[in-house]
Amino acid sequence: MSQTYRIGRGLVDTNSTIKFAFNDQQYTGHPGDTLSSALLANGIRLVGRSFKYHRPRGIFSAGSEEPNALVELRRGAYQEPNTRATVAELFDGLQARSQNHRGPLGFDFMGVNDLLSPFLSAGFYYKTFMWPKAFWEKLYEPVIRASAGLGSLSGKPDPDSYDKGFLHADVLIVGAGPSGLAAALVAGESGARVILADEDFRPGGRLHAETMLVDDISGEQWVANTLSRLRKMDNVRLMIRTTVYGAFDHGIYGALEKKTDHLASSDGMPRQVLWRIYAKRCIVCAGATERSIAFGNNDRPGIMLAGAVRAYVNRWGVTPGKRVAVFTNNDDGWRTASDLVNQGVEVSAVIDSRDIDAPLSISGASVVMGASVVDTMGRAGIHTIKLSNRQTIKADCLAVSGGWNPNVHLTCHQRGRPEWNESQACFVPGGVLPDGMSVAGAANGALSLSAALSSGIDSASLTLQSLSIKPASVDTPRADDESTRVSAFWHVKESTKRCWIDLQNDVTTKDIVVSHQDGFRAVEHLKRYTTLGMATDQGKTSNVLGLAIMAEHAGKSIQETGTTIFRPPYTPVPMGAFAGRSRGKDFRPTRKTPSHAWAEARGAVFVETGNWLRAQWFPIDGETHWRESVDREVTQTRNSVGICDVSTLGKIDVQGKDAGEFLNRVYANTFATLAVGKVRYGIMLREDGILMDDGTTARLGENHFVMTTTTANAVGVFRHMEFCRQCLWPNLDVQLISATEQWAQFAVAGPNARKLLQKVVDADTPIDNESFPFMACGEISICGGTPGRLFRISFSGELAYEIAVPTRYGNSMMDALIKAGEEFQAVPYGTEALGVMRIEKGHAAGNELNGQTTAANIGLGRMVSKKKDSIGNTLSEREGMNTENDLALVGFMPTNKSVSLSAGAHFVSKGNEANTENDEGWMTSVAYSPSLECSIGLGFIQRGQDRMGDIVIAADPLRGGTTEVEIVSPHFIDPEGERLRG
Amino acid sequence: MIIHHPLLGPRDAAEFVYLGDASLINRPDASADDAAEQFYEYQYLRDNVAGEMRELWYHEQGDRSWLVVTRNTLTHEISKVELARDVARANGRDR
Amino acid sequence: MANITLQATSPLNKYHQQFGDTTLSEMVDLSIYSIGLAIQPDAALRSINDVLGIAWPETGRYTVNESAKVQLLGLQADQAFLLVGADLSKDARPNLGASAYITDQSDSWAALRLSGSMSRRALERICPVDLHPSVFKQDCVTRTSMEHLAVIILCEADDQYLLLSPTSSAESFLHAVETSIKNIY
Repeated sequence: MSQTYRIGRGLVDTNSTIKFAFNDQQYTGHPGDTLSSALLANGIRLVGRSFKYHRPRGIFSAGSEEPNALVELRRGAYQEPNTRATVAELFDGLQARSQNHRGPLGFDFMGVNDLLSPFLSAGFYYKTFMWPKAFWEKLYEPVIRASAGLGSLSGKPDPDSYDKGFLHADVLIVGAGPSGLAAALVAGESGARVILADEDFRPGGRLHAETMLVDDISGEQWVANTLSRLRKMDNVRLMIRTTVYGAFDHGIYGALEKKTDHLASSDGMPRQVLWRIYAKRCIVCAGATERSIAFGNNDRPGIMLAGAVRAYVNRWGVTPGKRVAVFTNNDDGWRTASDLVNQGVEVSAVIDSRDIDAPLSISGASVVMGASVVDTMGRAGIHTIKLSNRQTIKADCLAVSGGWNPNVHLTCHQRGRPEWNESQACFVPGGVLPDGMSVAGAANGALSLSAALSSGIDSASLTLQSLSIKPASVDTPRADDESTRVSAFWHVKESTKRCWIDLQNDVTTKDIVVSHQDGFRAVEHLKRYTTLGMATDQGKTSNVLGLAIMAEHAGKSIQETGTTIFRPPYTPVPMGAFAGRSRGKDFRPTRKTPSHAWAEARGAVFVETGNWLRAQWFPIDGETHWRESVDREVTQTRNSVGICDVSTLGKIDVQGKDAGEFLNRVYANTFATLAVGKVRYGIMLREDGILMDDGTTARLGENHFVMTTTTANAVGVFRHMEFCRQCLWPNLDVQLISATEQWAQFAVAGPNARKLLQKVVDADTPIDNESFPFMACGEISICGGTPGRLFRISFSGELAYEIAVPTRYGNSMMDALIKAGEEFQAVPYGTEALGVMRIEKGHAAGNELNGQTTAANIGLGRMVSKKKDSIGNTLSEREGMNTENDLALVGFMPTNKSVSLSAGAHFVSKGNEANTENDEGWMTSVAYSPSLECSIGLGFIQRGQDRMGDIVIAADPLRGGTTEVEIVSPHFIDPEGERLRG
Repeated sequence: MIIHHPLLGPRDAAEFVYLGDASLINRPDASADDAAEQFYEYQYLRDNVAGEMRELWYHEQGDRSWLVVTRNTLTHEISKVELARDVARANGRDR
Repeated sequence: MANITLQATSPLNKYHQQFGDTTLSEMVDLSIYSIGLAIQPDAALRSINDVLGIAWPETGRYTVNESAKVQLLGLQADQAFLLVGADLSKDARPNLGASAYITDQSDSWAALRLSGSMSRRALERICPVDLHPSVFKQDCVTRTSMEHLAVIILCEADDQYLLLSPTSSAESFLHAVETSIKNIY
């Protein structure tokens, strides 16, 4: 069979033929075809099965509103389910498959659901699967899950790439139909920055589906002329295949541009781009969508919207049937009949629900006024229709028009509600539109071509005036004012068969009645009880029909009944587009330390800490377990010297005549008295008295301090300090700038640290213990003149320094330190050994500063000055945070030295059951201490400081097991601090 | 959302970090006799505004200024944007 | 120790790449200093004028002394970045007296120059700021974020932008800009 339904050229390129496959059958089509037009050209009417009843379904529309013709496109990892065949552009080699059937499309085993339909109506699931309760998990849920959904995913990672972007415009015009093109001409000629976006690959909207003239030339010629004018304007950006899917706050619009969906391969380019458009003004020219009428068996393949039939005939040169009947409640539907006849297609009948004179004469067709279709026959494709006057008529295609609904969606994305227009029988934009938005053309109820064109011109002029741009004078294109008379007609009540409303979710008029009977009468309840409009098409062809029938049942007006809320996206947006580039290693940026290259060459194992990639340990030949490496690094550091890149700590340069006073107020302890050339440890509180951060701050000059923060809190502390500076004490003389990235900083720790450093620090700076004692700091020169800084501070508890050089020298500095340390067998150590040594020394870190603990909890209560006002000091004195039973940070050792401790274990007194009532605290950090040769831990326990030597139980019910532990000093190593002062 | 920065013009709200009620500028005097009570109110008691609210936003990915943004919590309409430092000074905050 | 000297490395190994007529290259050896104004800025503003021959920029603008090859970037109302070109003497830190607070930022930022006809369309994919020449003119500079990274962007000329992003994440930033060009190229 080769395109026997192709009756003309339309706008496809019949000189060129392309091949495609549907359900593994080969067919041909032409460039310019969609998958639907090509399937119809080949006489394919049955394209899928319905969601609930597995009813045979065909193509229903010719655009993005399609509820039925959902297919799986492409194969393998590229497979995409639920693609609307009506918007899938045909390309050579395209492969498509129908969905939602078991067995062949023509005989679906799940079709049995259709016979069970009396049981499957609205609320069935709610009512049926309530009991017995035990059946839910074992039986009901698995069965429902297996039968739910439409298409299937490939199960493989999406091999395509996606991108995002930002665009700015004076005027965004949504839709390049007649009104959008007219508006774009005015805005473009006026010099405004314009974005004109259209979801179709061929801008022009309904002009291509109709045979109407504009300015005495054909619609498509007028579109071509207009586009060529617009393309010459630098200030106009025409975006085809681009759907504006959402209107967000303050003139921000979301748009999805399909870049390569119409090509056989993306060839490495992003398949789609998700745009964030900032538009000062927006003109919605989104057109209108036709709706159906509810009558018996109105879902059969071959039953289509009348406007879609016209589009296939005029734009694609394809007739959906050889003998077509038309059922309409409006004059517009008649044009389908006349266009078909003009193309030589037989029209067997025109049935109009209105008892008026026939608006047109249609040659060869029986015209039945004041009648309706009550039933249809033909399971896999309609062949006969039955009318209310008992007449039966042969037809292999039934074109239905229940009137047109303006596409008001974008006008409602910020909770605006449309208004019912009784004379046009449709909702039009109403109430408060999003700021900066106006609506033109059919979307605003201007349903005739001439009205659409002039409303495009007019709304563009008004929009430009509101931007203080003088509108260029553009003649309104001339067109006939065709008749759009309509008389609301929703439901053929004589039908005894099921009448479909929502084809995609299989909602019938009966479901509406059940919903009403069961008390779910508000539209929002109706929607959820029946699932009307909740499928991927969001009820574009069905919502108004459904709520009109509900209004009839409730005896209310349609305006009173109202609509449900329209939400973005207008049409489905792939998850991949929302993710954009943020996949895999590009999920977030990577920050590397200055000595990263050195560590990599040395074979370091890296760990992610936030965005940072830090060396975790440095394995050497023969080491097979991380603990071997870490134990060696700790032992060698404590016995001789070790070096660690600590550049990730936040560094904030604080300068100004009031810098000391400022630090006095953001730190809980005193800083104004710190001498130049000295470092002090500080703790910072939140205003509620809880610990926020800790670190050391060095005073490099009278008005110059360098603060360090923890790695994780660097950004938050800076933000907090800017808040203090700008909002609390706006007249203090103090300036802040982050210097985290400026300095490569290395901890050099161990008894040989000084000897090592004396080899790299230039001789003009003496660093012996007397000249450069514990907590000294200064600016130095290194390796023959490189400027640097030296701080005598210790996190490990050893004699230790931190040496800093400008970042550009960081990698080389690490190498220099290791080379200078060769005679001491200096080792590089990673974050793991760093952690072990800080636990051995009893320093609090992130696990202890967890946003719930106070200075008193970590044993530093006395540091909170009572002599000055600083952030958090007042509230830290609250009674509730200073009770006898407060948690205290102490050390823990297992009574059985061979047992490992686990962080997160909770403490209970011996003999007490391990439950929440008896909970006395928890283990925060644990490590194997190579120095003590056993597992050690830090943790919070009530009255810890008074319970040294007590034995308690560390219970870890989640991971199993309880451990007896002894409460000990948190300072496992050198509690007097002799080493670091040595 | 778009915040019209008084120095930089319209900027995407994604560049900002939200803190909360602008009353956080009015930090109590710690030397007052009832300082504890005042700090408790300052820290914890907030109006839950349905309508116009003055709130603090920080232009972290911009000029690092703290702003007082007057925003309608029901409609997101922003009617005024000020530099928090100016607001603080106008409120009598000094050193 | 005499026999060890420290070698400097640039954040992006002097990256340079051509994409048609569009060029992306690392700018090395830029000196960058932050200059914070004291709370009473008059003295500082005077000495900036005297020493640098340049006026304090409005926030969002930059001022230039062509002959001295220095630019002053108005990033905050009370803080600006001084950019000093590579061919000046090594220590470019100006002496502005006690009323301006200077911090060396030269090692904090990786600098990329993007120039050529695709520049603006490439940046469109990552930059939320409107770069249209009628809006982001040749004296404009701003800090914003691209692909979760802080970026200072400066319009040097038509279709030519200087981009500064933190050193530690410079490779991620380069990848983001490169991808943006490749995605349209």
